[in-house]
Amino acid sequence: MIAALRRFARRLINAVRPSAREADLERELLSHVAIAEDEHRLLGRSPDEARLAARRVVGSIAYAKDLHRDARSFVWVDDVRRDLRGAVRNFARMPGFSMVAVLTMALGIGANTAIFSIVNGLLLRPLPVERPDRLVLLLSNPSVNPSSPWSNPVWEQIRDHHADLFDSAFAFSRRMTRFNLAPGGQTDAVDGVYVSGRYFEGLGVRPVLGRPLLVSDDRRGGGQDGPVAVISYALWQRRFGGSADVVGKTQLIDRVPFVIVGVMPSDFFGTDVGSRSDVLLPIATEPLIRGRDSTLDRVTASTLLVMARLKDGQTVASAEQAFRAAQPDIRQATMPSTARAEVRARYLATPFGLQPIAGGPSAMRGRYRQPILIIMAIAALVLLIACANVANLYLARGAARRHEFSVYLALGASRWQLARQQLIESMLLAAIGSAAGVAMARWASDLLVHQVSTQAATVFLDTRLDWRVLAFTTVVAIAVALLFGVAPALRAARTPPIEVVRTHGGTGVEHGLGLGGALVAGQIASSLVLIVAAGLFIRTFVNLATLSLGFDRDAVLLVRLEVPPTTAASRRVALYEQLAATVRAARDVSHAAISEITPVSGMITDVYVEADNGPALAPPQNVAYKNVITPDWFATYGTRLESGRDFDERDERPVPPVAIVNETFVRRFLPGGSPLGRRIRNPSPVQGEQAPWMEVVGVVADATYLSLRDAVPPTMYVPLAQQDVTGSFSFVTLSVRAANGRPLSLVRAVSEAVTRIGSDIAITFVPLGQQVDDALVQERLIATLSGSFGVLALLLSAVGLYGLTAYTVNRQRTELGIRMAIGATGARVIGIVLARIMLLFGIGVVIGAAASIWVSKFVASLVYGVQLRDPVTLIGAAVTLAIVCGLAGWSPAWRASRLDPAEVLRES
Amino acid sequence: MPNASVQLLQGTLDLIVLQALSTMGPLHSYALAARLEQVAGEPFPLNQGTLYPALVRLEQRGHIKGTWRKTDNGRDAKFYAVTRSGRRALQGETVRWRHLAGFIDKLFVRSSS
Repeated sequence: MIAALRRFARRLINAVRPSAREADLERELLSHVAIAEDEHRLLGRSPDEARLAARRVVGSIAYAKDLHRDARSFVWVDDVRRDLRGAVRNFARMPGFSMVAVLTMALGIGANTAIFSIVNGLLLRPLPVERPDRLVLLLSNPSVNPSSPWSNPVWEQIRDHHADLFDSAFAFSRRMTRFNLAPGGQTDAVDGVYVSGRYFEGLGVRPVLGRPLLVSDDRRGGGQDGPVAVISYALWQRRFGGSADVVGKTQLIDRVPFVIVGVMPSDFFGTDVGSRSDVLLPIATEPLIRGRDSTLDRVTASTLLVMARLKDGQTVASAEQAFRAAQPDIRQATMPSTARAEVRARYLATPFGLQPIAGGPSAMRGRYRQPILIIMAIAALVLLIACANVANLYLARGAARRHEFSVYLALGASRWQLARQQLIESMLLAAIGSAAGVAMARWASDLLVHQVSTQAATVFLDTRLDWRVLAFTTVVAIAVALLFGVAPALRAARTPPIEVVRTHGGTGVEHGLGLGGALVAGQIASSLVLIVAAGLFIRTFVNLATLSLGFDRDAVLLVRLEVPPTTAASRRVALYEQLAATVRAARDVSHAAISEITPVSGMITDVYVEADNGPALAPPQNVAYKNVITPDWFATYGTRLESGRDFDERDERPVPPVAIVNETFVRRFLPGGSPLGRRIRNPSPVQGEQAPWMEVVGVVADATYLSLRDAVPPTMYVPLAQQDVTGSFSFVTLSVRAANGRPLSLVRAVSEAVTRIGSDIAITFVPLGQQVDDALVQERLIATLSGSFGVLALLLSAVGLYGLTAYTVNRQRTELGIRMAIGATGARVIGIVLARIMLLFGIGVVIGAAASIWVSKFVASLVYGVQLRDPVTLIGAAVTLAIVCGLAGWSPAWRASRLDPAEVLRES
Repeated sequence: MPNASVQLLQGTLDLIVLQALSTMGPLHSYALAARLEQVAGEPFPLNQGTLYPALVRLEQRGHIKGTWRKTDNGRDAKFYAVTRSGRRALQGETVRWRHLAGFIDKLFVRSSS
């Protein structure tokens, strides 16, 4: 055993460094010859005879060396080294060919690696924390809501009374919160999250500077150090220059002073893949920031996600069981006392759940999972098309080298050796291509991720090249090398002996389609699928982008305002009205109004609705969306008033309560007759309380509220002046319509007006058009990518078809020349060439069409406004492909028709 | 092409070389080949080409060790000597060879009777 290992090791060393052993052998052989010579001299032979005899005795030195080498190292390593040298020489001999091949491979592999890095970062990589496989997500209502958030009172119940269920449990806010670091005026916004005391302990991450947040910090009003915060590495570098004295510094967060106690490591981004938390605050400090708007003690406000780390040896199933066993206690202790009977019953009955979540609960993952996988499939298909091109290139070159190969065979090379040389060359090409591709990939994936960031949400994704990405690239490179290397290798191995090659002049007459034809047909089929996909996505995007929204998106500037929570509630309404009035009076402003929610902002308020003498409806039919607005809002947005009136000074007084509704609302809740004057209300969930009736005073046209894809929901609007603003409305948006149609030109004027009234009001400007565009960022990305890949596929296929046609025409020169000599016209020749192209095209289109139909079901959820099996898309794609194929094949066909038969016959 | 008339198993050749070096003491490859011919009594059906791989294998396994020394005539030559592990291997191989030879013998006796 040991001896065998020793031998293996020695062979390995000698394979890698042959020179030392080689020199030793040389010396030994020479000594051998010398001794033999001496021997023969002693036997009385002449010096020459002695030398000859000695040589004969030793045998062929070269042969001896060969045998020695075979025994002392690994034969195949030496062979591979030789083949590699040969491959490099071949590359240098044909730089053009090599460049094209390498570039094609680099682009194809690079694109795939880039997209895989994103797939890796978003879908595969676990959180950069300690033992992420032991983390689970606690679910309050798994059958209804997959993310199942919790409210703080229930969380506190779990935390305080059931800590023994897991090794550690921790909570954090489910949505990234935008915090303003500026003291006033224009906001300096960062993303942040509220976390519980054991967050860092549960995740197992330690700060690089200072200390993490602790249980003692998670107290109302702050712990013994007061309100403290932990910041991210990036924020530390950006805002504090990476200086070590940041620990202990005070930072205003939403105008509340927090003391920075720690800085997190650079690879830590929180638990939400796709975003980065720049500040982390204790959950219990939320009331300091939100004042009366705080949801800390509201049982119905589900704002937190709760995760836990399992104890050593605890299984998910046993943990879930234990958790469910604790459910009655938890529910009972946090029952909202004012709730109605059926609400209570529902609350008690819904079972808890537990879910392993090594990757963290990520909002972005849910949204982008399907699109990114589709894009990956598209990129893989384009790579296949590119491989087919390179394979065809190699086949053509291999045919040209047949003479060379047959000479090798005659000299004693084995067919395996010929095939191996081709394979090594393919592998070398694939290796160089993938190295170049990997270099590009990082840049490309960062670019892609950047495309997805919007004004509202900066996307942060770690697309680092870790072992998974490199393994992926290696596998792809090997697969690619095999794909385009096997065919030429087999061809090389099947080189006919030299006599055959000589008589046939190095050409083989190819009948039928051959391997090259099959490859091109495959390319055409794949291109068709890609073009159809691109067509679907592009049409989806265009449909959504040109949708009639019910308002004018390009003339409005949105000004998000945040007044300090210390502003007395009674003052707020007056403040907002004053702001609106001042801005309305500014130059170039035609309308201005305040609202709680703006279109396509991601925020909604949904309410139950009851109409007086209206149809009895059950959930979810009795749900409508609501917006709180001031007068002039509809005019600002250009939403048409169908009947009745807008809000005005009459509605400043709290009674009578009024509302304006949209047409869909009327159809749902107030059918039959005029809705004006009828009464509606939002039923109260509180036992024994009755909400006031509101009179409908106006009907407006339907306008998009939240989602561009969904139909406009029934919407009701109520005046700000009539709302109970106690504890509400510290965030509102001032919408300003520019008379000159250029919203951004109003920024300075509005900014001045606002700061004059209140210098500590936080302002964020967003043109409405941008807010709407941001809602389409995913669709735009897919449309752009699939379109680009579709065009690329088309180009590659065209090149492939052109190459194959030119090559075939060249091969068939003799045959075509004879045809022309016996009377075929130029047109006839073109017909022959085109017929072949059409045959390939036909086969490709049929296969491609079938594939498109099969594939379309995977993208069903992403398209909008287009039929999946829409024949128009398919026909359009086929026509495009036909034109491109025709163009590609035209040039060689034309040249074939110009052949001079006499010249051709003279050549052969 | 290898000499078709002699297709000795690799292992047998290794055994032959080990045994020869063990009984005759350290030899260089030329002398070893010459001695093997002497013992065989007829031209030993191996040329130096096939002897070398056996020497390489044995040396890589650590069963023999080669050192450059001067012959009686003053020529440089690489002398191979059996090592301790080589002697152990030789013992084991000899036992196995005896068993194999005895078994084959019995077969021939059987078939001839």
